[in-house]
Amino acid sequence: MPLIINDIYPEKLFREDGKRLDGREKNELRPIKMEVGVISNADGSAYLEWGNNKIYAAVYGPREVHPHHLAKPDRGILRVFYRMATFSVFERKRPAPGRREKEISMIITDCLEPVLFLELYPGTAFEVFIEVMDADGGTRCASTTVAALALADAGVPMRSLVSSVAVGKIDGQLVTDLSGIEDKAGDADLPCAITWFNEELSLLQFDGDMSIEELNESLLNARNALDQIHQLQLTALKSKYTSILEEVEGGED
Amino acid sequence: MMNIKRVISTIEKNYIAENLKKGERIDGRGLWDYRKIDISHDIIKSAEGSAEVKLGETDIITGIKYEVGEPFPDLPDEGVCTIMAELLPLASPLFERGPPDEQSIELARVVDRGIRHADCIQTKKLCIKENEAVYIIFVDMFVMNYAGNLIDAGGISALTALISSRIPEGVMKDGNLEWTGNYLNGKDLVKELPLIMTFGKIGDIIFLDPNLPEELVCEGRISISVTKDKIVSIQKSGVATFSIEEIQGLIKRSMELGREIRNKLDLWQYKVDK
Repeated sequence: MPLIINDIYPEKLFREDGKRLDGREKNELRPIKMEVGVISNADGSAYLEWGNNKIYAAVYGPREVHPHHLAKPDRGILRVFYRMATFSVFERKRPAPGRREKEISMIITDCLEPVLFLELYPGTAFEVFIEVMDADGGTRCASTTVAALALADAGVPMRSLVSSVAVGKIDGQLVTDLSGIEDKAGDADLPCAITWFNEELSLLQFDGDMSIEELNESLLNARNALDQIHQLQLTALKSKYTSILEEVEGGED
Repeated sequence: MMNIKRVISTIEKNYIAENLKKGERIDGRGLWDYRKIDISHDIIKSAEGSAEVKLGETDIITGIKYEVGEPFPDLPDEGVCTIMAELLPLASPLFERGPPDEQSIELARVVDRGIRHADCIQTKKLCIKENEAVYIIFVDMFVMNYAGNLIDAGGISALTALISSRIPEGVMKDGNLEWTGNYLNGKDLVKELPLIMTFGKIGDIIFLDPNLPEELVCEGRISISVTKDKIVSIQKSGVATFSIEEIQGLIKRSMELGREIRNKLDLWQYKVDK
């Protein structure tokens, strides 16, 4: 269906002063805000603002598996459901889950599973629901990051956190953390995630055009960004408890 | 962490009911009090309008999107507005994945009927060219946390999102759709503001804004939408029955409450100019 304003891509993705369109340096992340314990009904939850992305994740489990035949007698299962709100994108998304959402759900499930001790929970399921309320590039990475936080907030035993970021190439230059425009108009996009217990990549996709040297350098750029994101996750998890402490201490005055 | 069970224990049910008989509620409210209402607007960049409404711990985010399409043949110069609700499985262990169930359809329809019959959306202003092109406005409500009374929270959320919206103004020139460079805002789209008030009933006791435990023990509820001076829609649901006197009493009360809440919320403050 037609819209009145069209989604136009700019010709250049760098400004005159060499910075990116949103004013960032090549390897600078967008502003990131994380908070845990945002959904009171859930066993664990987290909220993430990453640039203009706004994403919620909630964890329920271990709980009974529906449909029952999916349950495994020797271990628990992890199910991740990545969904986008109808209004989270430029052109309204149809409400039913599409192929893209199903694929990303699967990728994130596989990415998170290595950090869980599912063998301790036979016959049950951990379900992670991710809702992208506003999208602006890099939602699968942001979703993975926020889902790991929600699992930790739920008190699910984990080998480590998982952090994720996309790196890529725009206008021939390597950059970190592609925005929506950079993703669409850029040359290459390389989303990846790291499981910190073994410091290996647990999610990896690549689309576009890069030389082998560029790909090697991009992976190192990603590694630097992932460290920063990990620190933000740890701070967010701790701040739930430090803020309670502040309340208690404040009350004694 | 709140542990919600589908079946609430007899002890808890009796406790809630006994206290209601004394005019007391488990969260300390009076019978005709709302929980705290928090509204934020214009929170979703990708949406043409948006709002998040928290009613106690119930949390609903609504976004507005538009498309341009053909009008209905019997209403050639009127735009269309569709309202949808999703009870996200993230919001409660009581919600399941899958296509909309009865509860989400009821939520969308009750909010829709309040808006539709209140001279709220100015459908004639949503016409670009008669018989050819009109706006189709999508009001999509997403429940982020379920702690009772989705209908009232949904109603306020939908209205605030509509009031906060900015929709590019289009014209037809030689059969092509063009943007004038201006936007239609909340004042262009919306006129009357219907408020929905939901009352629960347990035994003979009726009370405003059931919270989750109250909703789970309720025998029934009734939702009444009012504008400044009119009743525009009523929905009774659940197995409870209401006497005519009770309904008359509730109609009077919802008019009074409506006036009070309308002033307190002052929803027009959420209009976004551009």
